[in-house]
Amino acid sequence: MGNFKLTTVEEMEAATNKLLETGAKVGADAWQYRVKNQTPHCKFGEQGICCRICSMGPCRITPKAPRGICGCDAHGIVGRNFLKFTAGGAATHSDHGREICHTLHCASPDGAYKIKDEAKLLKLAKEFGVETEGRDIYEIAHETAEAGLMEYGKPFGYQKFTERMPASQRDRLLENEMLPRAIDREVSSSLHMAHMGCSSLPEALVKQSVRCGMGDGWGGSMMGTEFSDVLFGTPKPIDTEANLGVMVAENVNIVVHGHDPSLSEMICEYADDPEMIAYAKEMGAKGITVSGVCCTSNEVAMRRGIPMAGNFLQQENVVLTGACEAIVVDVQCIFPALGPLSKCFHTKFITTSPIAQMPDSEFIRFSAETAAENAKLIVKTAIENFKNRKPELVYIPDMKQKATVGYSVEAIVKVLDGVTNSQVDETGTTKPLLECITSGVIRGAVAMVGCNNPKIRPDYAHIELMKKLIANDIIVIASGCSAQAAAKAGLMDKEAKNICGAGLKRVCELADIPPVLHMGSCVDISRMMNLAAELSKDSGIPIYQLPVVGCAPEWMSEKAVSIGNYVVGTGIDTFLGVDPYVAGSDQMAALLTDGLRKWTGAAYTVEKDIDKLVDLMIERIEEKREALGI
Amino acid sequence: MTLFDVVFNGNDTVYGLTENAVDAAIAQHGADKAVGFPHTAYSLPCYYAVTGTKIEKLGDMKDALAVIKSLMTREKRLNDAFMSGVATALCAELIEALKYIDGATPYEEPCYGHLADAVIRELGVPLVTGDIPGVAVILGSAPSTEEAAALVKSYQAQGILVTLVGGIIDQVAEAGMKTGANVRVIPLGKDVTSVIHVVSVAVRAALIFGNVAPGDAAALMEYTFKRVPAFVNAFAPLDPVIVACGAGAIALGFPVITNEETFRVPKSLIVQKDVSKFNATSLEARDIKIKITNIDIPVAFASAFEGEIIRRG
Repeated sequence: MGNFKLTTVEEMEAATNKLLETGAKVGADAWQYRVKNQTPHCKFGEQGICCRICSMGPCRITPKAPRGICGCDAHGIVGRNFLKFTAGGAATHSDHGREICHTLHCASPDGAYKIKDEAKLLKLAKEFGVETEGRDIYEIAHETAEAGLMEYGKPFGYQKFTERMPASQRDRLLENEMLPRAIDREVSSSLHMAHMGCSSLPEALVKQSVRCGMGDGWGGSMMGTEFSDVLFGTPKPIDTEANLGVMVAENVNIVVHGHDPSLSEMICEYADDPEMIAYAKEMGAKGITVSGVCCTSNEVAMRRGIPMAGNFLQQENVVLTGACEAIVVDVQCIFPALGPLSKCFHTKFITTSPIAQMPDSEFIRFSAETAAENAKLIVKTAIENFKNRKPELVYIPDMKQKATVGYSVEAIVKVLDGVTNSQVDETGTTKPLLECITSGVIRGAVAMVGCNNPKIRPDYAHIELMKKLIANDIIVIASGCSAQAAAKAGLMDKEAKNICGAGLKRVCELADIPPVLHMGSCVDISRMMNLAAELSKDSGIPIYQLPVVGCAPEWMSEKAVSIGNYVVGTGIDTFLGVDPYVAGSDQMAALLTDGLRKWTGAAYTVEKDIDKLVDLMIERIEEKREALGI
Repeated sequence: MTLFDVVFNGNDTVYGLTENAVDAAIAQHGADKAVGFPHTAYSLPCYYAVTGTKIEKLGDMKDALAVIKSLMTREKRLNDAFMSGVATALCAELIEALKYIDGATPYEEPCYGHLADAVIRELGVPLVTGDIPGVAVILGSAPSTEEAAALVKSYQAQGILVTLVGGIIDQVAEAGMKTGANVRVIPLGKDVTSVIHVVSVAVRAALIFGNVAPGDAAALMEYTFKRVPAFVNAFAPLDPVIVACGAGAIALGFPVITNEETFRVPKSLIVQKDVSKFNATSLEARDIKIKITNIDIPVAFASAFEGEIIRRG
């Protein structure tokens, strides 16, 4: 069918190897080498049985020393480590959400940040009980932002957005003391519990891990997503391209990397400015190309169709092309290695956030109040750097795929409206999707999320799992680096319908969608939670009974653990391809893979054999179908 | 019971009946007995189009049964349900072909049964030009004679070709409607298997006009999905055999609209309880857009009436 062909992992690896050759010429370090230096890893750390939360330690658990100095056993140590890991992730997303609330609070009709989606703002205002009648939209925005900010530290009550959950799940969490209160409170409660001489009971530590994660998913992350949509527009289907081949040799290449769209949106805005383009031409370039890495890339791809250069483990490759004038970063998942690496090339490594300051970088402090001038300075700095390029080091792999992205919940519902029949159906619901699932045309849905991890052949798990899922008529929604892996491979090209099973293929044809739907960045996993809640409410089936599972096959960060916890907390079984450092405690492992089920309706499955991981997901989906009698 | 189970059961039932019928025919006539439909160059058109093999004698049918059985996989995937639908259709074609042994004329006025190639060539051009904007396949009995007649007339007024299978044939006759290829209302037969004669039209259209190579089932299904604007109206009650046939129709790209409460599949299997809305629902499901200029005259007006014969008296 046409010229459509997936890009294979082998092809991507060949391109990476060629880039590493360039790196070798200039003496560049790379994660591939650092992994070798760090292998084998410490077994105590890997099993989660090393504790260093007080200065009596560090302690580690062995058969001869079954308890630490305070008397804590392996289960307590593993549990506390797991909880602290979660708290780190929840804090990260939540601080991102907080920044966005602040940006919204700075929005003004003549400022750098404006309200792009008034309807969404009004909906949120209503949710937060902000008066909207007869008021100026910016006044509403500021008050809503403030209401959002209160969610971080309010003294009483639970997260407002949890009211979007079906009662079946919310009540369950409430009953088990797992419904999140103020976001920051859950993070600091977690750190409190994990202090020396506090909690060492695995049940309590697991419960708090989920509650802290829920404060992220149904608090910080959801806030980040919702307010980003208000400021920058709710994503709609848009065409873009992915993989390193999106960088253009003749142009000034600015790569945005990190997470917060407040920065990347402004960079894109100024890179489009005729004055800047003229300046680039003056400096000998043909134009300006902005591309992205990681979640900030997902944000601008979803809203502006900005091409995606690569995901997490490709961030060094961007510099290795020798054609990157500036890699502009804000927070999270940014290799400090980019500093020394950029020194091997002409590339400027520009850090912008006081949260993420690194050696060997140029620090241009970015803030919502001065966003316009900051962004302009960054773009100018990149343009002026074009002349410093070393042409003999330039190699951009000729490798890219088409992708259609921008599937917010709102966009998905609109797509579903397109297959309704006006004579019989109501619009604005997820019912057409439920009908496809109930009849068996689609077997279920898998949310593919998460990072890259050198422990797994990069992108292999993402791509191979998705291929098998769609061949089995299971629709895939993806976010984060998983989504970018899919886009690079070509799985977000609508032509990818031809490698689907007959059911999903027909759905893709009738709805005009790709089989893998890009739902955004990692905070946008909150969109998936909203979708699950809608599906549950529209069908009357509790979330934990729906044939829907989550999967993070190549996960790496603390954020991924926080995400996993809130996905499980929402009632969705979650499959991991990398062990979360809990192997040292059979009690903790049993709680996470089974015990949790009695509190949330869902649990984890860990399987390091990637081919088995996908089969287990398909099995679980079929089990859930059978239980529903569909 | 899941939708796929219903399809699989219907398919199994029809396959069992077909196997018995073929065995009985061989016992009676011998394996070398010639079989086929009259006035067609495509042997058993559906089987020929799907497999690329022509069936000429009863013995070939026995081989065909093995091929059909191989389509009847039972994984819980839509492809298996689709193929079971196709297998059901192929079984129906075998059963119908057996009716024509020895030059028999199994169908009598007003029913047509098998349609000759000439009829398809004649209908082909208006189908391509959009003069015939759609093909309605109506199955079973409408809740009342009035509703049956109103539905058929509504399609007729839009120039849509209507084919009838089962009880609706009697209902239309009772309402005093004229039927026949000349007025684009073609009663096929009373048995559900006679629906294959309209499937045969779509399939031969793909072979004749679409240049689809016999045996290229994927190209066949793509052609009918994209180019043949057919849809099915199936009245309650639906038995598993009808549902299995419906799966075949959906595989070819034809939506099924029914007034029975059953599984729903967007744009493919639509439950419409109100028969008076079957027309609008069907056209929207098949993306058929018709602009009608209403001419206020005391008689019906449509290209469907172009071939009408006015008799004396």
